[in-house]
Amino acid sequence: MKLRKIFILSLLGLCLLGCENKETVEESFALKYQNQTFTLGEVFSKEKYGEELSYSEVSSCAFEGLDKTYRYSDFEVTTYPIDGEEKVAVIYFLDENIETTEGLKISDSLQKMLDLYGTDYQKEDTMYQYQKGNTLLKFIVSNDTVISIEYVLEI
Amino acid sequence: MKRVGIVFGILFLFIVLFVFISELVSPKYSIHLVEGGMIRDYYLENTHHDVLFLGDCEVYANLNPMNLYENYGITSYVRGTSQQLMWQSYFILKETLHYETPKVVVLNVNAMRYSEPVSEAYNRLTIDEMKWSKEKIEIIKASMTKEENFFSYLFPILRYHSRITSLTDEDFTYLFQKKKNTHNGFLINQNVKPYTSFPTERPLTQSDFSPIDYEYLDKIRVLCEENKITLVLMKAPSLYPYWYPEYEENIKRYANTYQLDYYNFLEKIEEIGIDYQKDTYDGGLHLNLTGANKLSTYFGAILKEKYSLQDHRNDDKIKEVYEKKLREYYKEVES
Repeated sequence: MKLRKIFILSLLGLCLLGCENKETVEESFALKYQNQTFTLGEVFSKEKYGEELSYSEVSSCAFEGLDKTYRYSDFEVTTYPIDGEEKVAVIYFLDENIETTEGLKISDSLQKMLDLYGTDYQKEDTMYQYQKGNTLLKFIVSNDTVISIEYVLEI
Repeated sequence: MKRVGIVFGILFLFIVLFVFISELVSPKYSIHLVEGGMIRDYYLENTHHDVLFLGDCEVYANLNPMNLYENYGITSYVRGTSQQLMWQSYFILKETLHYETPKVVVLNVNAMRYSEPVSEAYNRLTIDEMKWSKEKIEIIKASMTKEENFFSYLFPILRYHSRITSLTDEDFTYLFQKKKNTHNGFLINQNVKPYTSFPTERPLTQSDFSPIDYEYLDKIRVLCEENKITLVLMKAPSLYPYWYPEYEENIKRYANTYQLDYYNFLEKIEEIGIDYQKDTYDGGLHLNLTGANKLSTYFGAILKEKYSLQDHRNDDKIKEVYEKKLREYYKEVES
C-alpha cells in the first residue's frame, strides 16, 4: 500500500515537472545597467536608451535596410530593421565603466570570466563565446585580460 | 505507337510547364536586387578585355571601365559581385578563361577577411545567374552554407516556389529578356551621402587570414601564371569595414613572397582626390560615380604605364563597340 502511494506520488511529481518544463521560457543574456534591463531582440526606443552621443549607419552591399549604431558614453547599440521595426542586435562595451549583469567588465581577468561564466564556451582564437537561447555573450581575451565584451543576437 | 506519342507529348508539356514556372518564380534581378544580374551581363560581351577586375562590391562600385577606355583606351571588365568570396573569385576567373585571356587580372583583397560562406542571400547574387558550366557546379559546392543544398541551385523552383504568391510586374516584364544594368560590370550610383562615422572598431581575434583564403589566393595566382596573366592585388579605398594593419601586413608579405604588385588605395585617398563628403553614396563604404571616376583615372594611369596596355581607341572594331557602350553609359549618367 505504502509502495503504491510512493509510486503514485512520484508519477504525479514527474507529471508536474513535465508541465513546468513546458512552460519554461528559453533563457537569454540580457544587460542590467543603471536600473534598466536591455534585452537583445527588443524594439529599440530612445525613451529607454536615451539620446545618443553619435550615430552611424551601415548599409549592406545589395540588400535594403540599414544597420544603425547608436553610441552612448559606455556602450554602443546596433539595431537591425525587421518588419518595419528597429530591433536591438548588438550591445558592445566601450570602456571599463560598464559591467555585464553577472559582474564582468573590460580589464577583468580571464579567471574572473571563467569563475562567473564557467567553461561551457566556444573558443575561436582569442574569443570566448557563451550562448543562451539565441543570444551570445562574446569576450575577447588578450594576455589573460578581457579586452572586449559584446552581447549579440543570433539573427 | 500512338500511345507512346501521347506519353511523350504529356512529358514534353510537363517539362515546358516546369521550366516556365521555374523561370517565372526565379528572381529577375532586373529592377530590384540588380546586383544579382551583374554576373550575367558578362555573357553579352563580344570583344576582348585587357584587364579583368575581380572582387566584391569594392570593385563593381569603385572602378569604372568606361572611364578607363575614355581616358586611356584600356578595355576592361569588372566581374565583381556582392560579397564575392575568395573561392568565388577563383571560379569566376576560371570561367572567364573559357571566353578570353586578359593581360592583367586585378584582385581586390577585401574578401580575405572571410573564412567561410557568409549567407545564402549573397551566394545567390553571385551564382544564380551564372551560365551552367563545370565552374558553376564547383562554385556552388564551395559556397553553400550548411542550410543550403545543391539541388536548389539546379532546380530554382525548389528555392523560390513560395514567390508564386508574391510575383510583381518585374517577374512578367523580364521573364524572357532580363535587363542589363551594368557598364562592363560597373554599377553606376550618383547619390551622395557624406561620411559621418562608423561603429567602433572591434579588436581582431585572429591576425592572420584563414588557410582557405590563402589556398584560393594561391590558386588564383597559379592560374594566372599558367595563362601568362599578370596578377595585381588591390585594396579599394572603402573606409568600412576596417582594413586592419594586420591585414595589410599579411597581404604585403604575400605580395613580396610572390613578387606581385599590391596597391592599397586607402593610403592614396588624398593623392587620388577622393572627398568623402561628396564622392560616396553610403557614407564611405562605396564610391559614387564621381569617386569611381577619380579612382579609375588614378589607377588607369598606373595600369597603362606599368603593364604596357594598348590604347584601343584607334582600333576600329573596338572603337565602334565602345562608342555604342559610351552612348548607353552617358544616357544613364544624364538620366
